[in-house]
Amino acid sequence: MRHRTRLSMLALGLTASLAASAAGVRSPSMLANTCAGCHGTNGASAGEQMPSIGGMDNGYLFSVLSDYKTGVRRSTIMGRIMKGYSDQEIWAIAAFFAEQPWVSTDRVALAGPIHVGRDIHERQCESCHEDGGREQNDDSPHMAGQWSGYLRYALEECRAIGRRCSPRKMGLRVMDLSDEEIEALARFYESEK
Amino acid sequence: MTDVQRRTFLKSSAVALGATMLGVSFRASAAAPKARVLVVGGGFGGTIAAKYLRMADPAIRVTLIEKDSAFLSCAMSNEVLSGERDLKDLTFGYRGLARRGIAVVQDEIREIDPAGHFVRGASGSRYNYDKLVLSPGVSFRWDAIEGLSEEVAERFPHAWKAGPQTTKLRQQLLAMEDGGVFIIVAPPNPFRCPPGPYERAAQVAHYFQRHKPKSKILILDAKDAFSKQGLFQAGWKEHYGEMIEWVSGAAGGIVEAIDPKTGTLIGQVEEFQGQVINPIPPQKAGTLAESAGLTDASGWCPVDQRTFASARHPDIHVIGDACIAGAMPKSGYAANSQGKVCAAAIVAALNGAAAPEPSYVNTCYSLIAPEHGISVAGVYALEGDRIVDIEGAGGLSPSDADARTRAVEARFAHDWFRNITADMFT
Repeated sequence: MRHRTRLSMLALGLTASLAASAAGVRSPSMLANTCAGCHGTNGASAGEQMPSIGGMDNGYLFSVLSDYKTGVRRSTIMGRIMKGYSDQEIWAIAAFFAEQPWVSTDRVALAGPIHVGRDIHERQCESCHEDGGREQNDDSPHMAGQWSGYLRYALEECRAIGRRCSPRKMGLRVMDLSDEEIEALARFYESEK
Repeated sequence: MTDVQRRTFLKSSAVALGATMLGVSFRASAAAPKARVLVVGGGFGGTIAAKYLRMADPAIRVTLIEKDSAFLSCAMSNEVLSGERDLKDLTFGYRGLARRGIAVVQDEIREIDPAGHFVRGASGSRYNYDKLVLSPGVSFRWDAIEGLSEEVAERFPHAWKAGPQTTKLRQQLLAMEDGGVFIIVAPPNPFRCPPGPYERAAQVAHYFQRHKPKSKILILDAKDAFSKQGLFQAGWKEHYGEMIEWVSGAAGGIVEAIDPKTGTLIGQVEEFQGQVINPIPPQKAGTLAESAGLTDASGWCPVDQRTFASARHPDIHVIGDACIAGAMPKSGYAANSQGKVCAAAIVAALNGAAAPEPSYVNTCYSLIAPEHGISVAGVYALEGDRIVDIEGAGGLSPSDADARTRAVEARFAHDWFRNITADMFT
């Protein structure tokens, strides 16, 4: 996959740099705890548009955070924040959150939209986001039990830029979804604890 | 709940009820604790220091001492003034921290004995410590504006500490007739929540627009520039036209005195009268920090910015608004970040390790209208002995952002509040 080569190269570099200097290196928890004010303790968000990140795939987090830093992925505030970290530090932050347990939202599911959302999921999302969004890898985030506020925002973001959405196949699949369909899809994943 | 969790929970509940009596054996299973850390002040900084100390090393006995039975957040309290939010939504209890095994005690600390390593509360109780963390917030320089005092503030509320003062200001705004003038007196730097007075102007304008559209808002400022200035001024104009007027210090905004009889504000150049007057006094570190001799000539507490250990007494750490923290502003998020750095430094010291390399962040949202949020972020590192901005990172929301982005940031502002308070209290 897209990021595999980049990740392994970085991992090698990181090992080397850790060996070279212990003093002056900021530990993973030191770096990652600064995120908790917005993303919740250990990355378990209290809602609604703010995503939970604890328990997400290491490689996925690394690529998204890096894309915020470079501006490849559009953001309101994340780009400004990620510019403050080296690639090694972003790797450490991603690794820290990947080790935390995933905590699903405790929000009660709404029956109607979920049914519609499941249909859309089975029709055009499931090939990558397997098992109701529980399966994750470095290209696909954990979505089952994620806050629908965030999922809606992320889907709308992707729809707004269409083909320029990263990855492009996401953009192509959400381009024609209505507001109601996006809401239903977001509610479906949120309900899949 | 596992058995261990349940035991901790029961134990900590008992401690919360009568902590001063239970100083002898906090952990039933373990022997004496590794060390005793007292945290005084249960706000944005203190709650976090206590919680992250406990999370990092459960062998340390952590006691949080707070004078109030619940926390009332200043952040988001401007939304109470506009009627968008109720004060009870800003109120948080300490049970979640007790559940984590922190002894939570309600007492007002009056005296610190750095040599004897103990503090004493208004209750008469004495609390011993190996390390003390103070997060005392700010106190007001009542003497900076002639005629202003704590008593006068009962009629002309500052509403800069959330609670009855916020309610009072809200009631005065509700009672004001349409066509009245609301005056905010904004303090000189440094002070708690730099964008706060300007967000307040926007929130009150939001209320006036719907209920008292002929009214005006005047900001008399001691300063010639302020936080997020361009974004605020553009947002004010966009939503409220000419309703808000800002007078810089250089243009005559410096208020030297208030006549408590008439509510007249006496500036350097002219006098001002309004129907509702909101003088936000100049500030300094919380009273306890000052009486303990932890402040310098500036009125704030000098600290080792790697560990937040006081420059006066190394076993006392000062975090949050009260401390001098390099490039960091006096904000709730800054206090949160400092609480974590301080906790990590104390855990390292108590385990015989060197203080870790620190990382700090600030994130601060302001709401100009319900669908118009703006933000500033800062990412910091320690350079030499000073906290500095990491170049190229942080900064403001773009000045040319579209309406959708502003709406997204408004929702993030509310999520910021949800999450930072969950980080503190759960």
